[in-house]
Amino acid sequence: MEKKEQKRHQHKHSGPKADKKNRKKEQGTEPERDERKRNPRAFSVQSAVRMAKTFHRTQDIKTKKHHIPLVDRTPLEPPPVVVVVMGPPKVGKSTLIRCLIKNYTRQKLSDICGPVTIVSGKKRRLTFIECNNDINSMIDLAKVADLVLMLIDASFGFEMETFEFLNICQVHGFPRVMGVLTHLDTFKNNKTLSKTKKRLKHRFWTEVYQGAKLFYLSGMVYGEYQTQEVKNLGRFISVMKFRPLVWRTSHPYVVADRMEDLTDPEDIRLNPKCDRTVSLYGYLRGTFLKNKCQVHIPGVGDFSVADVSFLPDPCPLPEVIKKRALNVKERLLYAPMAGVGGLVYDKDAVYIDMPSGHGSQQQEEVRPTTELVQSLIGTQATLDAKMAASKVSLFTGTAALTPEEVQENEKQNPMESREWDERAQRERRRAVFADEDDDDDDDDDGDGEQESDEEEDEEEDDEEDEDEEGVTTLKKHDKTAAETAAPPVKKQKCEVPMEMPAFADSDDELEKSEEDESEEDESEEEEENEENEEMEEGEPAKKSSGPDSGLCSEDDDEDEEEDSDTDEDGDGTVKSKMSSKHPEEENIDTDDAEMGYETAGALRWKEDLAQKATEAYLRHQLAAPNLRKLVYGTVAEKEEDDSNDEEELGGLFKVNRPEKSKKVRADAMDCSRFQPDNSHDWDQEEMLASIRDCFVTGKWEEDKDAATLLKEDEELYGDFEDLETGQVHKAKTGNKDQAEGGNDDEINGDDDDDEEEEAPQVKLDDDEVQKNKRLEKKRRLKERFDAQYDDGDATYFDDLKEEMQKQAELNRQEFEDVDDEIRVQYEGFRPGMYVRVEIPALPCEFVTNFDPHYPIILGGLGPSEGNVGYLQMRLKKHRWHNRILKTRDPLILSLGWRRFQTIPLYYIEDHNGRHRLLKYTPEHMHCGATIWGPITPQGTGFLAVQTVGGIKASFRIAATGVVLDLDKSVTIVKKLKLIGYPYKIFKNTSFIQGMFNTVLEVAKFEGASIRTVSGIKGQIKKALRTPPGAFRATFEDRLLMSDIVFLRSWYPASVPQLYNPVTSLLMPVGQKETWAGMRTLGQLKHDLGIRNKPNQDSLYKPVVRQVRHFNPLHIPKELQKALPFKNKPKQMQAKGKTPRDLQRPAVVREPHEKKVAALLDALSSVYAYKNKKARAEQHAKHKEFLKQKEKQEAERQKRMKEERKKTYRAMGQKEKKKLKSSLKGASKDN
Amino acid sequence: ILSQGTFEGCNCFRQRLVLSTLSGKRVKIRNIRSKDDNPGLRDFEASFIRLLDKVTNGTRIEINQTGTVLFYQPGLLYGGSVEHECNVQRSIGYYLEALLMLAPFMKTPLRAVLKGVTNDPTDPSVSVCPFISLSSKRRVLKRGMAPAGGGEVLFTCPVRRSMKPVHLTEPGKIKRIRGTAFSVRVSPQMANRIVDSARSILNKFIPDIYIYTDHMKGASSGKSPGFGLTLVAETVNGTFLGAEVVSTPQGQGDPVLPEDLGRNCAKLLLEEVYRGGCVDSTNQSLSLLYMTLGQQDVSKTLLGPLSPYTVEFLRHIRDFFQIMFKIEQQKPGEDEQKGGEKVLMTCVGAGYSNINKTIK
Repeated sequence: MEKKEQKRHQHKHSGPKADKKNRKKEQGTEPERDERKRNPRAFSVQSAVRMAKTFHRTQDIKTKKHHIPLVDRTPLEPPPVVVVVMGPPKVGKSTLIRCLIKNYTRQKLSDICGPVTIVSGKKRRLTFIECNNDINSMIDLAKVADLVLMLIDASFGFEMETFEFLNICQVHGFPRVMGVLTHLDTFKNNKTLSKTKKRLKHRFWTEVYQGAKLFYLSGMVYGEYQTQEVKNLGRFISVMKFRPLVWRTSHPYVVADRMEDLTDPEDIRLNPKCDRTVSLYGYLRGTFLKNKCQVHIPGVGDFSVADVSFLPDPCPLPEVIKKRALNVKERLLYAPMAGVGGLVYDKDAVYIDMPSGHGSQQQEEVRPTTELVQSLIGTQATLDAKMAASKVSLFTGTAALTPEEVQENEKQNPMESREWDERAQRERRRAVFADEDDDDDDDDDGDGEQESDEEEDEEEDDEEDEDEEGVTTLKKHDKTAAETAAPPVKKQKCEVPMEMPAFADSDDELEKSEEDESEEDESEEEEENEENEEMEEGEPAKKSSGPDSGLCSEDDDEDEEEDSDTDEDGDGTVKSKMSSKHPEEENIDTDDAEMGYETAGALRWKEDLAQKATEAYLRHQLAAPNLRKLVYGTVAEKEEDDSNDEEELGGLFKVNRPEKSKKVRADAMDCSRFQPDNSHDWDQEEMLASIRDCFVTGKWEEDKDAATLLKEDEELYGDFEDLETGQVHKAKTGNKDQAEGGNDDEINGDDDDDEEEEAPQVKLDDDEVQKNKRLEKKRRLKERFDAQYDDGDATYFDDLKEEMQKQAELNRQEFEDVDDEIRVQYEGFRPGMYVRVEIPALPCEFVTNFDPHYPIILGGLGPSEGNVGYLQMRLKKHRWHNRILKTRDPLILSLGWRRFQTIPLYYIEDHNGRHRLLKYTPEHMHCGATIWGPITPQGTGFLAVQTVGGIKASFRIAATGVVLDLDKSVTIVKKLKLIGYPYKIFKNTSFIQGMFNTVLEVAKFEGASIRTVSGIKGQIKKALRTPPGAFRATFEDRLLMSDIVFLRSWYPASVPQLYNPVTSLLMPVGQKETWAGMRTLGQLKHDLGIRNKPNQDSLYKPVVRQVRHFNPLHIPKELQKALPFKNKPKQMQAKGKTPRDLQRPAVVREPHEKKVAALLDALSSVYAYKNKKARAEQHAKHKEFLKQKEKQEAERQKRMKEERKKTYRAMGQKEKKKLKSSLKGASKDN
Repeated sequence: ILSQGTFEGCNCFRQRLVLSTLSGKRVKIRNIRSKDDNPGLRDFEASFIRLLDKVTNGTRIEINQTGTVLFYQPGLLYGGSVEHECNVQRSIGYYLEALLMLAPFMKTPLRAVLKGVTNDPTDPSVSVCPFISLSSKRRVLKRGMAPAGGGEVLFTCPVRRSMKPVHLTEPGKIKRIRGTAFSVRVSPQMANRIVDSARSILNKFIPDIYIYTDHMKGASSGKSPGFGLTLVAETVNGTFLGAEVVSTPQGQGDPVLPEDLGRNCAKLLLEEVYRGGCVDSTNQSLSLLYMTLGQQDVSKTLLGPLSPYTVEFLRHIRDFFQIMFKIEQQKPGEDEQKGGEKVLMTCVGAGYSNINKTIK
């Protein structure tokens, strides 16, 4: 066989394959060159405008990143960070706090009650607060939280509270939020666990921000979270950074962690519902707190502070930072409301509540939920009973508590009932209650002895022992009672009381030393220790003397001024006087000193008090010059003197004489001019010379003198070479050095005699000097260079930042070295201080219904924020709240520190600036709202809820917004249409009545534009005499009597002046979330069962349709005539009956004819049948024929094809042969 | 002795009302000239109260029958266009000093036209009044001298959200002295005579002195004759010290020679220079107020000796804003010839912000 030649490959030129190849080729061949280089023209500036635009845009983007720089006002020792642990109930909040506290301080706290402050690190303290599931607490805590730990039950998912809290946070400035997922151990399936985690995480991110931290706490071990996870969480908390929030940096606030009732027990006895004086303690945060300022306590109301004083920090940071980690002693824990506090300082006393912060002290014992003193005051017992109680208070740490106190606690906290809590801790507590009688006896005995005996230390020892024993026995009891439930750590607990006696001993030693002094002193000392005595006997004057008890106190100033009257400048004399006035000054100087004076060296630390006081006095004297006293010392005292020299006339009338001296003071001329000093005679030369330097022509200071400046310049730029002439100019350094050196090294010059001896050294010095000079020169040159070239680059932003930096520096330095007592007067109390705020006239419910689980916040108010006025705000209904809000329905707003109920009016601003009243808030849109409420700075955010009691709505936050404007008047108007009817119509003039009632009313509206319903515009012209209220009006067209005329007017709406602070903290314990204020109209109607009677016209009635009747169309004759024929109505006459003569007669056949006709009929039908049959046959035959024919044809075709095939084959063979033969022939030829 | 917000006597009447308005605290003033033959508020004080009422919204003022007790509950500062007929017992400066304290904290920029006496011997005039204040504008439209008045002053001031801390510790040296000698309804020659005599004293210190002469005629010359001189010394650091002397009003005391007046005014300026500081004695209180109302930062100002009015003002600031100033005396150096003792005032601002201004 011959081999067939292979076909050549044909490249595809089209189709997908070819396209693909092309693409590949293109990409491969494209050079990787820079577009800019390859085609520079394309990148050249095409349009300057566009270039400018892009430049602007980049600059815009750049500057958008800037934040407005703020002065850094963070105090050197910041207050503890407020960590709010939030979440729905039963999610593990308390457990988490307990674990975190244990993680930081190695202590266990059973009942998280009130804020717990701990030292978490070398520079950081934390205050943990648990937020219960009450919207009031949530709102209050969102305002003070620095960090929110948001606990989420992963097994359940998010709950509404979480979202509500997030929204609250958002409104009041967003604190840091960290999510914590708990209950992760309920997931058995790993896949669902990870899926849930992911789902929750993403949801959390959308609510907070992308990448917000979400922590996972998997599983519990012995009722606690896993140590490692808690440790990690703790680490996160302790490195967290916080941003300043506007409201908080401009307002001082205190999260109270301790409360004392200072009311006189006698007053309470007389009237149990009398207003209370309360002191609240806590770290000051935010900004400076001024004494005697206004504060708002959310949930209670506005109060003015009677007195603020700072106390030593109960939970101080370690003083020296050198170690890597804190030791156990430095890990302090302070939670007075939970009954843990170490030393508790008051203004004028120190209470010892526990040995110290450290030690693995168990807190399971009975703890006073409120402070000791308060409870003792509240007892209203006899003196000796109080004495008994007081003695024990010293050793509360040993848990040997007085029975009264225990009872008190029970009375005060009915919540702490034992039924609902079956855990071991609670049970044990009950045991303490059961045994309390024994304890009671012990204490009483001890106290009685103490009173009578003088060897109290021994007695105390005994008593201590007894107490201790009691406790230990109690403990044993507990253990037996609750064996199984007790955690393993409890063994340590027994050790704790052992520490107490040691402490007590040390105390005793102290007392021993006193003992030697005198009896009296001792009793005094006793008094000091016993708080209740103190409270009882302490003179009110002592209490009221505030922090201004320093030298600047008023009485003292008076003295001082008298001093200065006699000899103004004599400092020495003042000093001498001071030494003579010693005791008094002590009395005034400090509170401690005050006590010290009374007891006269009762304690060792008081021994050198006099000396201390002297020192303090001197220090103060230096700090406070006379001018200060001149300004701030009171002048009022002097007035008293003048007031009582009135002489009587005849024993009946008093001569009322205007007194010159007083007039000068009280009714003097109000003029800012300062009359010149007469002693200055400006004609004299020396006087003129005394101000010579105030003018530019006078002598300048060394550093600013033109000559020195020039010299400096020369020094810097002196050396240069004139290139043209080749001359070298040298700065006269040598000379100058000598000149200046002469000044600087005076000693050198003086010691000329010894020069030979010290020559090498002098030379060395000289070198040194030279070197320094050079360095100095270089530095200055550099400075100048920097100033010249860097400044050009500095933007406004940089300058601003630098300015702020400088200000912050100044703020820090200005009062740095001033004594704290004085400093608080200048600055106010600075944030970070532990302050005691005394507030008078608090409602008694605040004390009687006190529940430490609810936060007490003292929010400072700025100037004029205590006033009330109209607030305009921008408001938007929350899109999750499922109902729109109605105007004049009361709403509870959280604005600033406050929560209050008020009645808003909603409005929208029209294009012309008119505020039009709305009946309801629009959906998905902002609207305005005006309320009567407390003046709050503009830009403050607020949120609104409809009720704070219970959960009725699915999402409680009804609206959010921001304050725009404050005013004392309202601008909202309501649309009002006045309607009238014409009663007489002339051409364009009509008389209208019914719109007004009197002529006066019309007169007021003269010239007003009116309109009819049909749209004819007009104007009121003039009132008519009768009927009253009718007027003449002109219109642009003639009216009809059926027209209605209306006048569109705007009527000012008034905002109801309701400002009702939510007093949820005053509610009884356990009912604090049930505060209900004014009810809305809807609620009222619902509650009272009132139903609105609807308008009769608005009711639906059955539709009755009447049959419509159309009249026939009537075309006038004239019109008919004019119409074309086509449209003319055709007036056809109805066809009448054909007349008789025209009617054709009916044919009646004969019988024969009938027959014939029937036959013909039959024949014709036979014929028709035959025909039909024949045609059908014919058709069938033809069909057959056609079939035959087709067959034949097919046959023929087939034959033909065969034939043709044959012939073609023959032809082909013939051809082949021919070709072959020709090839053969050719080959033959070859 | 007195409860908070209660005062006695009409002393420092303006300070109390102004500070009350700014701090939003109500004020009760008792015993206003109660022992005087003519008890109660004077006309000019009533006029002042009326002016306050015009620039505020929602102010409540109660005065008893005899006018000896005033209760003032401040509203919010409104501003806007105000026209006020000031009482002629005191000059416009009396009213303007208070307006200057209030003007930056209004809701809308203030544009006040005050009519009355533009210059009198007791109060600072418009041109001396405030040189430290912001971008406010004062213009004398008509000059009216003491007994009858008839002058007109236009005062405009923009509003601010908050005040920056003040740092005026370096007064600098005086580089030039400017002034205006004015005369109305007297010979225009008077002004020239004043200028000559004033220059004769000031030329010893500095050559850069320019004193304008301003003679007003016709409708803008008010109703009474008089003349006077105001001098202002400007330092290289941009602080101003002013002095002013006006002729005694017609029919009240001996007439003054223009030469004497010029000399007196020049000496008064020298006295101001001697006292020194960054702010002259009449404006001390204004500068202290701006320090008080600043943000919660440290402000410092160097002043001359405190005037009695300023001392009162400091006490009132303590009453209303609980702010105390740290007062440090600076004794002049041995060889320095820069006048008398200076006082360095330091305070931490109250963190005041304009609660009246609307935000959009």
